[in-house]
Amino acid sequence: MNVVRVKDIFVKELSVDFRMQYALASIFLFAATIVFVIYKSFNNINPREWVIMLWVIMLFAALNAIVKSFLQEKKETYLYYYTLFNPIDLLIAKLVYNFVFLVSLLTVIILIMTFFSGFPVKDLGLFTLGSLLGIAGISVVFTFVSIMSSSGGGHSTLMSILALPLVLPILLLLLKISTVSVRLIVDTSVGNDVMLLLGVDCILLGAVFMLFPMLWRS
Amino acid sequence: MKIKGMWWKTLGVIIFIYVLTGGMLVPLKSGILHTTPSSAKCGTTVNIDITGYNTHFSSAKNIRAWLKADSVHAIQAVEVKPVDEIKSVVTFHIPDALPTPDKTQPLTLIMDNELDGIFVQPNAIFVTMADTVSANGALWKSSNLNNFSQVDQFVFPYRNILHETIRNIFFHVALWFAMFILLIAGVYYAILYIRTKDYIYDIKSSSYTKIAVLYGLLGLATGSVWAKFTWNTFWTDDVKLNMTAVTILIYLAYLVLRSTFTDTDRRAKMSSAYNIFAFVAMIPLLFVIPRMADSLHPGNGGNPALGGEDLDHTLRMFFYPAVIALALLGTWMAQLTIRYEHLKEKYFEKHN
Repeated sequence: MNVVRVKDIFVKELSVDFRMQYALASIFLFAATIVFVIYKSFNNINPREWVIMLWVIMLFAALNAIVKSFLQEKKETYLYYYTLFNPIDLLIAKLVYNFVFLVSLLTVIILIMTFFSGFPVKDLGLFTLGSLLGIAGISVVFTFVSIMSSSGGGHSTLMSILALPLVLPILLLLLKISTVSVRLIVDTSVGNDVMLLLGVDCILLGAVFMLFPMLWRS
Repeated sequence: MKIKGMWWKTLGVIIFIYVLTGGMLVPLKSGILHTTPSSAKCGTTVNIDITGYNTHFSSAKNIRAWLKADSVHAIQAVEVKPVDEIKSVVTFHIPDALPTPDKTQPLTLIMDNELDGIFVQPNAIFVTMADTVSANGALWKSSNLNNFSQVDQFVFPYRNILHETIRNIFFHVALWFAMFILLIAGVYYAILYIRTKDYIYDIKSSSYTKIAVLYGLLGLATGSVWAKFTWNTFWTDDVKLNMTAVTILIYLAYLVLRSTFTDTDRRAKMSSAYNIFAFVAMIPLLFVIPRMADSLHPGNGGNPALGGEDLDHTLRMFFYPAVIALALLGTWMAQLTIRYEHLKEKYFEKHN
């Protein structure tokens, strides 16, 4: 792993995204619209609905966001990367970039939701830890799936078919942890769930690192 | 005619027939279906009507019955009157006081005869003691709760709630075991494909995985039917069930993934990679998360599964063969799929 390379790719991703502002803006607009629609239809969102809505919106916004991370690049660009980088460097940069991107997306969604319907989280530490671990898992799964679907001819439907079942266990754990963090239920063994989420993240990360160099060559 | 791998295919069929006939025909051990009345007062005489299951009350010569409060306190029935083979009336003189200070206690009914052996009904009757009486353990000491009949029977255990559905263990549980064996075969060939890039491994990997998905769906169906009889619902919000649904979805996505590619090389590469990824994701789903949460399902949330009295040696005699038979039959089905794929390849080569 070459830290400078990783940083370079990371910066490049960031600048590409900032240059294509309409893509970024559309994702944030999507999040804002959905939050508003839900706020209008529920009028009064209780903590349970808040948590569920947060993660469902996050899931679909993230799905939209990451599809483009690999799809936006042309075949020729890949060939160019192939001559230039070690695949592991590229993968790490993509993962880190997706992670940072999703974290900022989540922050924005939380801010909009807080603006419309308050912030019910009581245990901020647990919520933050759980969310970060969950986002890490989601970004690993989505990165993996977007690699697959981009080399599969760039179907975005393929992406959602593959991504949603794979991301379900992470999402279920996330919902449980966030439900505990808004004190809807009391669970003394929530530490187990956090560890489990970390474990799932590590397993998925290991699998991606194993498979990426092979997938990338196509 | 020579069939390739004749011996293990025959073996699989024979074992499966053995499991089917034995698993369906071996009777259940005697048990008690229900009893009335369900409550009584201290110091009275009660006649308990007993409806048994697979019992031989009128043929048996020496029927004895007890009501047991705990490991040292019990009373014996004064009279046991069989009505027919499955019905009998048992009379107890319940002492004036219960053995321990609790005002109401559930008593376990134990019956024994020389044809059926010993069988029990937990919490058969609730006995209430008057507030003015204090507990007296001595009244419950002279019960002769011993010399049970040793009966040589070849039967499956009788379990309350489960009853005859206990036989489903040979299908439901064995299907999941066999599914897991097939999935391991699938992921093994996926790894081989990635290492060698030999197309034949992709055909093998996908065939084993397809049959495993079929077994998974069958396992889900048999489990659903079982749940209907024991939990009174086809599906319930239980962690084991939900995680299983997720796993099935992940593998169904595998089938969708395969169908989206037209280029075989690319399909092979993608689906092998996904197969490994899905297998890795499945392990925490099926084997870790359900064990950590509360669950109704046996083997999870602290419930026993393949241990204790629930899987006794008669069940084992059919359960392990069932796993072997289903794994062999699954392998056979997978090989048929593999040959079909080969023929398809050959056909297209010839006609293109």
